[in-house]
Amino acid sequence: MSDLAIDIRNVVKRYDQHVAVRDLSLQVPRGSVYGLLGPNGAGKTTTIRMILDIILPDAGSISIFGRPNTESGILNSVGYLPEERGLYKKMQVRRVLLFLAELKGIRPTDAAKRIDEWLARFSLVGERNWGDARVDELSRGMQQKVQFIATLLHDPDLVILDEPFSGLDPINAQALKDAVLELKQRGKTVIFSTHVMDNAEKMCDSVCIIARGEKVLDGGVAAVKKSAGSRNIAVSLAGGAQNGVSAVLRDPTFVRRCDDNNNYFELELFPNADAQLLLRRLIDAGANIERFELMQPSLHQIFLQRVGASGVEKGMSGHG
Amino acid sequence: MDNKIFIVAKREYLERVRSRTFLAFTLVIPLFIAAVTMFPLYIAAKSGASTAIRHVTIIDATGSGLGDRIAHALMTDSTIARIPNDTVTPRVENVSAADVPAREQAAADEVKLPDHITGYLVLTDSTLAGKSARYSGRNASTIGDMDKLRSLVRQEVMVSRLEREGVRKDIVNDLATSNFRLSSERLTERGRGGSGQAGIFAGISVGLLLFMSIVFHGQNVLRGVLEEKSSRVAEVVISSVKPESLLAGKVLGVGGVGLTQQAAWFAISAYLMNFLGPVILKAATKGAVTASATSGSGAANAALGASFGGMALSIVAVSLMFFVIGFVFYASLYAAAGSMVNSEQEAQQAAMPVMLLLMSTWLMVNPVLINPNSKLAIVLTWLPWSSPIMVPLRMGLTTVSPAVIAGSALVAVFGCIASIWLSARIYRVGMLMYGKKPSFSEVAKWIRYA
Repeated sequence: MSDLAIDIRNVVKRYDQHVAVRDLSLQVPRGSVYGLLGPNGAGKTTTIRMILDIILPDAGSISIFGRPNTESGILNSVGYLPEERGLYKKMQVRRVLLFLAELKGIRPTDAAKRIDEWLARFSLVGERNWGDARVDELSRGMQQKVQFIATLLHDPDLVILDEPFSGLDPINAQALKDAVLELKQRGKTVIFSTHVMDNAEKMCDSVCIIARGEKVLDGGVAAVKKSAGSRNIAVSLAGGAQNGVSAVLRDPTFVRRCDDNNNYFELELFPNADAQLLLRRLIDAGANIERFELMQPSLHQIFLQRVGASGVEKGMSGHG
Repeated sequence: MDNKIFIVAKREYLERVRSRTFLAFTLVIPLFIAAVTMFPLYIAAKSGASTAIRHVTIIDATGSGLGDRIAHALMTDSTIARIPNDTVTPRVENVSAADVPAREQAAADEVKLPDHITGYLVLTDSTLAGKSARYSGRNASTIGDMDKLRSLVRQEVMVSRLEREGVRKDIVNDLATSNFRLSSERLTERGRGGSGQAGIFAGISVGLLLFMSIVFHGQNVLRGVLEEKSSRVAEVVISSVKPESLLAGKVLGVGGVGLTQQAAWFAISAYLMNFLGPVILKAATKGAVTASATSGSGAANAALGASFGGMALSIVAVSLMFFVIGFVFYASLYAAAGSMVNSEQEAQQAAMPVMLLLMSTWLMVNPVLINPNSKLAIVLTWLPWSSPIMVPLRMGLTTVSPAVIAGSALVAVFGCIASIWLSARIYRVGMLMYGKKPSFSEVAKWIRYA
């Protein structure tokens, strides 16, 4: 058995006018939490759909746990939460879940048992048993839970979540994070795509950044950050950048890039710039410094640095 | 893979059969058909002569015993509904011509009293001359009663005049009671095959039923696809099932619903007509009726029997086969149309070409009815989009050889394969395309790169 959950080799997908994915290769280690990062329109969803054999690649190969993804039954070990979510609105919750589980090769009697467990776990059984309600009687948050149950009901070894945090309320978002970590502890592989770098940085073991259908970089999060160097400085100022402070933070002899968040700044210095000198000049300028820290760049910084604002291909919208 | 088609089909089938709309349609349609068929029967039964025309006074001023003859005929005519234990007989008053006005006045007064005579008939010399008689009564506008009275009076006038001319009595009786009926029977190369009307009834009803079922359930497939797409559930499902299997399962499931519904329709209609029909007829003729075979209701009964009983088993079998083929052909096209669009309004537009194909077939039904062996009819037998309706229709009208039936079924099956192939390619791409409605050239591209 392969120790790669997913092995994508030289995959190409062309549409009429543009190339959605060009010569993409990436490997997802078994048992890891893997982030597929990129701006909207970068080719994330196309890549995920090709992994799931929803779209056929024009060239290249994709294997799941060492077997080609076109092999019959292999997709039964994959759980998928698409970005565009929805359920049969007029159907009873329990019947929707049963149907989706059956499609993944679970026998109806087993599925019924699991559905009860999951409904209880997501507190959908209380004063009312929401399993017997119709989908459109459920609140949005409850529907999200049901959708998530549908993804995990057949106990997949590989879970693919496309923009899982979009549209989630904070409580469900936290529940999702907990669930992802629990899956990892149980040895499952989780891939999720996102354009929110904070989530990725906190949760992922490895990431791959893609833009314009191409891989920009990939690897373990620590290695990616390390290779990006530590010429970054985090600065927190009480009361924001007053008077000349702002000019110092943007001094082109020191600072290559300044990410200004009003009270918090993330600076990227030129390779030969002296951080101590910068600190002194900030004090001289009258800055009220709460934090001044040499640090590794955040994924967000790396992303901006490597992809830039031009990472989104013109004329494309909708699916990454 | 095959198993997944079955799972999809099962969901489609159960969700639809469980719905209230299905139950309503399944029960309401046969009731409607029964009502539509029964109403003319009811009217026919209603319009037959009723026993009321026996409750009359006959004022006979002819002096020839014509009144007694008519009274006798009224009592013996078997087509007049008869109430058991009804002992009322026509009262004949033989009067002189001068007394007629006074007697008429008395009879008119009696008609106005409750539970007395229904009306009175006045016979004069003019009647005997074969010109006119006069009737007044409460049932004067009841077509059935008046028709019966008119024919009895005419018959008895003829009999008495023939007798007067010296024609032998037995010959007169024979002539008078001869009951002429034209019955028609269809002859085919294979022998006798029910009445001519039966074939047309069967052909039209089968054709109409097939057409309506294909449109109705085809639209259902379209709506189902659209629902999966607009509720965004499609992508989860497609990550577990190949789009082709999803399409196939959907078409099978909805087709199963169609077959179930039709079986229910046939069963309920047959029940209603066989068991309820006579009851309604009884009700229509107020009480115990011995309606004879030659009466109006008898003819209606025959027509009714023709539309169902006259339908040979072979037509039913072939109709079912062609329903399945035709449904698969059109339903997969409907599914493709549904996958291209995002809203019900757009769906109607996208389904237009499919609808046109169906309508063009339907418009040809009339010419084929008129001449089921024309070149046009033969061409339509072989085209995969028209044969599912035309073959059963023509079978009801003329003889279609088993070889032709098998051949056109085969062509239609190939048509289905082409339609499924085409639809699956559109469906595969269309299911995950949101946004504006694609143009035809875009759809052509989908077909190429799917």
